[in-house]
Amino acid sequence: MVKILIVDDELDVCRFAKSFFEARGLAVLTASSGQEGLRIFAEHRPDIVLIDVKMEGMDGVALLKEIKKIDKNAEAIMVSAIEDMDVIEEAKRHGAKGYITKPLVLEELEKTVIEKAKWIQAQKKT
Amino acid sequence: MDTGPKENLDWENLQGKFLEKVTNHQHPHPDSSNKAHRGLDYQAALEEASKSMIRFKKPEHLIKRIALIIAKEVRVTHTAVLLYKEKKNSYVLIDSKGQEGKKIPVGYIRLPADNSLINVFTERALIPLLGESGALICNVIEKLMADRKFLVENPNLVDKLSGIKAQMELLQADICVPSYFKKKLLGILILGNKLSGKGFTREEIGFFLTLANDAAMAISNAQLIENLQCKVKEIETLYEKSHRLFIHTSIALAAAIDARDPYTHGHTERVTAYCLAIAEEMEDSPEVARFLNFKESLHISALLHDIGKIGIPDSILNKKSKLTPEEFEKIKEHPVIGATILYPIKELGSILTGVRFHQEKHDGTGYPDGLKGKEIPLLGRIIAVADAFDAITTNRPYRTKKSIEEAVFEIKRCSGTQFDPEIVAAFLKAYEKRKFFNLI
Repeated sequence: MVKILIVDDELDVCRFAKSFFEARGLAVLTASSGQEGLRIFAEHRPDIVLIDVKMEGMDGVALLKEIKKIDKNAEAIMVSAIEDMDVIEEAKRHGAKGYITKPLVLEELEKTVIEKAKWIQAQKKT
Repeated sequence: MDTGPKENLDWENLQGKFLEKVTNHQHPHPDSSNKAHRGLDYQAALEEASKSMIRFKKPEHLIKRIALIIAKEVRVTHTAVLLYKEKKNSYVLIDSKGQEGKKIPVGYIRLPADNSLINVFTERALIPLLGESGALICNVIEKLMADRKFLVENPNLVDKLSGIKAQMELLQADICVPSYFKKKLLGILILGNKLSGKGFTREEIGFFLTLANDAAMAISNAQLIENLQCKVKEIETLYEKSHRLFIHTSIALAAAIDARDPYTHGHTERVTAYCLAIAEEMEDSPEVARFLNFKESLHISALLHDIGKIGIPDSILNKKSKLTPEEFEKIKEHPVIGATILYPIKELGSILTGVRFHQEKHDGTGYPDGLKGKEIPLLGRIIAVADAFDAITTNRPYRTKKSIEEAVFEIKRCSGTQFDPEIVAAFLKAYEKRKFFNLI
């Protein structure tokens, strides 16, 4: 089973995304801060990490950098309300594999994550 | 969201009345024989709601309240309200309620204007996919997808149906209610499954549609008001701009006059400042109270008071020795020349009086018309004092300047003969406050 970690300081987002991806056959972990996300990542090594950029304390890009230190091949998708080219560029430079801006189109979120999950599933089989 | 206390009160009143009406008949009459009765009551509650809606400034509050009423009344897994936002060309989620995990976070999602769930309400060709109610209902779509005859007759709708079904699944929507205003889709209300597991009744769907349309009305009203406020602001900016243009043009003209007369350099600027200082001490005067746009008129009038000097030859204007009687007669023409130059600018109105009459004297010995006392227009009387004070306190070709104290004494001495005593009194008050100190 492909494991995804959702990191968002909005509890409603974590809950919704958890039920959304569970319904699509993924194992879902959630964290409501950058620090918690980092701890869970280190412990559970999820296949995909969905990270909200704007968070109190350790923000999304900072978390991305820390995760990449643990596993430089980690699959990270950034979600943010900021339609800011600088942030997008910085996240990409640090190895983010996808970037979704809020308010997001649900099918795009689904497509981005599920396609990645299918690919990871296929890799796991071989 | 910040609202005034009054608005909140309105809301509470509305909510109270609304819930009271809606719930009163629910529990005592659970059997279906009372459905018609209950439908009627919905109507009464709705009428009351729509009457109050006009008062609400923020339609989003109304929509949230509507979603709350529905959630309480009908009991569904979740509700979501999406409103059209022009900037994103999308329908953005602005309110949601419901069970943990089903409730979609506010601001998290949007449906682009070309989304199939939106198209079903905006494209004429897709209208058959809506039930006769006008709402999009999951089981209607499912039935159509299983209806071989319908699919064969409408091959172009096959893809659309599965697209709509996929969108409804994504949102876990059992029913989508459109909110139109003047044929424009303003928003949609999405409801999840009923907790009872049953389908929605015809009355319930009618209730949703009415609420949605009332909400549309409120949204449109608010947008109309917002547009109107934008227009007002635009006009104000435009007015301010043309007003500034007016003042700056006057300043430029005044500078042109001053440039010709090196001895009176800065004269216009100072006279204007003195006039405004005098004006401040005249705020209680009934004459000033009657004068429309007093300060502004005085300001422009003072800037332009000597514009007639444009028509006086340099040889006279720049003469270093005392003027001959003929030359002085020429100088005396400047108020009339000034008023004549400005006459075509109809917008100046009373501003012209300051230009024409600033050389008149209280006792009637001034020029050009020899007016007396209050016959002399107010602006002329004020400029006369300011003009004289500046003339005394600056060097002229034929005499050297006097001290401020001497000048003030001179003005006081001529109160009632050359000057209107009321203006002199205001001038003295201004002087006492040292308003002229930094100008001389």
